[in-house]
Amino acid sequence: MPAVMACATLLAAGCASSSPGSPTSSPVTIGVATTLSGAFGAYGVAGLDGIKLAVQDIDSHGGLLGRQVNVASGDDQVDPATGETVTRNLILHDHVAALFGSVSSAVGAAQEQLAGQYKVPIFFHLANDVGLTTTTFNQYAFEFSPNTDMEPAAAALYFAKVIGHKSARIATITPDYSFGLDTVSAFLADLKKDGVTYTVTDKQTPALGASSFTSQIAALLATNPQYVFAGQYGSDLVTLTKQGLGLGLFSKTVVGGMYDIQVLAALGAQAPAGAIAWDRDPFWTQDSGVMQNFVSSYKAAYHTYPSEFAVIGYSAVQAWAWAVKQAGTFDAGQVSAKLGGATVPTIRGNVTIRACDHQAEVPEWVGTIASAPDPKYGTTLWGPDVLTAQPAQIIEPCS
Amino acid sequence: MSHYLITFLSALTDASSLFVAAAGLTLVFGALRIINIAHGSFYAFGAFGVTTLVGATAGGGRFWLALLVVPLAVAALGSAVEVTVLRRVYPRDHLAQLVVTYALFLIFGDVALRLWGSQERSVPVPPGLSGSVTLSGGEFPVYDLFVIGAAVAVGLGLWALLQRTPFGWRIRAAVEDPELLASAGSNVPLLFTAVFTLGALLAGLAGALAAPLESVSPGLDASIIIAAFIVSVIGGLGSVAGAAIGAVIIALFNTAGVLWAPSWEPAFIYLAMIMVLALRPWGLLGTAER
Repeated sequence: MPAVMACATLLAAGCASSSPGSPTSSPVTIGVATTLSGAFGAYGVAGLDGIKLAVQDIDSHGGLLGRQVNVASGDDQVDPATGETVTRNLILHDHVAALFGSVSSAVGAAQEQLAGQYKVPIFFHLANDVGLTTTTFNQYAFEFSPNTDMEPAAAALYFAKVIGHKSARIATITPDYSFGLDTVSAFLADLKKDGVTYTVTDKQTPALGASSFTSQIAALLATNPQYVFAGQYGSDLVTLTKQGLGLGLFSKTVVGGMYDIQVLAALGAQAPAGAIAWDRDPFWTQDSGVMQNFVSSYKAAYHTYPSEFAVIGYSAVQAWAWAVKQAGTFDAGQVSAKLGGATVPTIRGNVTIRACDHQAEVPEWVGTIASAPDPKYGTTLWGPDVLTAQPAQIIEPCS
Repeated sequence: MSHYLITFLSALTDASSLFVAAAGLTLVFGALRIINIAHGSFYAFGAFGVTTLVGATAGGGRFWLALLVVPLAVAALGSAVEVTVLRRVYPRDHLAQLVVTYALFLIFGDVALRLWGSQERSVPVPPGLSGSVTLSGGEFPVYDLFVIGAAVAVGLGLWALLQRTPFGWRIRAAVEDPELLASAGSNVPLLFTAVFTLGALLAGLAGALAAPLESVSPGLDASIIIAAFIVSVIGGLGSVAGAAIGAVIIALFNTAGVLWAPSWEPAFIYLAMIMVLALRPWGLLGTAER
């Protein structure tokens, strides 16, 4: 009899823990399997910080369906095998209700398969290869960054505006892996679509994480390009810029690259004024109240300004939480079904998630690096000429 | 024409950075017969240390102070590591030694992450060495010329130390036969500590010199140890002159790849290593393992 009572008690507890809205429910956990170390760890950490802040805000407002939300995280070390292990551990050990993925699209593809296999919604706030929403896509995957078609399309629009109707000599330099190569191909194709007549003078593809780009820069400059499209990001872009400054890259050409706030802050006084910059969500170009509140909270929590990845990470959690509330359950199938085709309120405004491939219809921003630090933020950012490339301008229709 | 000159000088800059880092690694292997994976950590500490002392926007005198102080601090750390950890593993086989230095590498990587965070850092080129010179119509950074000069000075200094001083004679004797050296009354453990400290000093110096040239971020330790190891293997593990030649070969092969086969460029370094090892398995100036 006592055993039966114990079982009944346990069953009751089990019912309570899964009962939406019950104040006595146990916490629900979300998992962040991302890059937290190495040369690209800064991006993963920024995304994780955004996610943690979103969860903190949810918890401070009573949690989700009456349950507090916990964050479990693991470092994928930009390695697909490690990423798989970390992700599987989060699913099987931590029983996460949702996953937030890697910096690397290669790791992301592996995570996406696991998410599909174990039926856990996965949100990509960093990796953005278009393959994540096409070739490896499954119904549990959601892309919250502009993908590798959208980002270069926005850059091409800005380049086209700068180049005008003249013909141009363009060189490219990009890391030697799918993201870099896809980005360059898409950029050149988009530039042609935008009506620019150009000649590609040189294409350089140094290894990701190379410590020196001087030979590539010298080789590029020898072909006398007027414009250089750089697919590097993070620490690679910092190194490329420092070495390019000494070799005259920025005085002889107009360079475009992913100069987000992290890169610009790292470069400090060496930020290359006049270079073209793009960013997936630069908070300083947006004056909406919700974005500014987020920036204030982030600054207070982490003593630094949020990068695009923190913004996107935060918004991805908002989308998941919105879907959970709409579905009234944490069930992966129902949550995913609510998100496909939905328009979700986030700090980035109302974001529509395409039903066909779960790509968030979000803009990409492109501008020109200013010549002096922004007095408000203490870092050199962009000048006033900012292009907000709207989703309709840069997103490919669903096939 | 200017293009080839600038490209060649850029390759020499890369070779110079690599040589200073690889010289310490190969010196330690020559005397202690240890492949010190934590050498990459000492390099990273050198670069991170400079970012701390100089700051992101300052520069000037603080860079020169950092260039002096940081390698010495890294050398002190190296000395402590040798005395407290490595002495215990000298009698063990190469694999055990490798695992220990790899463990140190991982620990130091975590320490660096906690001390300096995951954010990229950058050090401006010090005033006086900023800007470029015009060579045959092309621009070349003054600081890169300084790095080339510094590497030449380090090479000459090491040559003089090894060839012209009693300390150097003892190191060379230790490379040849440590037992004989000990039986002749030399304090071999102290000599080993001194060599390891010198190796760490060179790693710290290489990192400090490289800080204004590149982004300083986590992962620096791994990338440099791979490159330094390849350079040392090509030159012959244990040979400082071999490290200099290996660094130049790697940089030139890399540049050749950039110029003539950009999409295959990352493979050129490994191609150079395979070609050299096929001809001389112990490296260009190395000797077969005793």
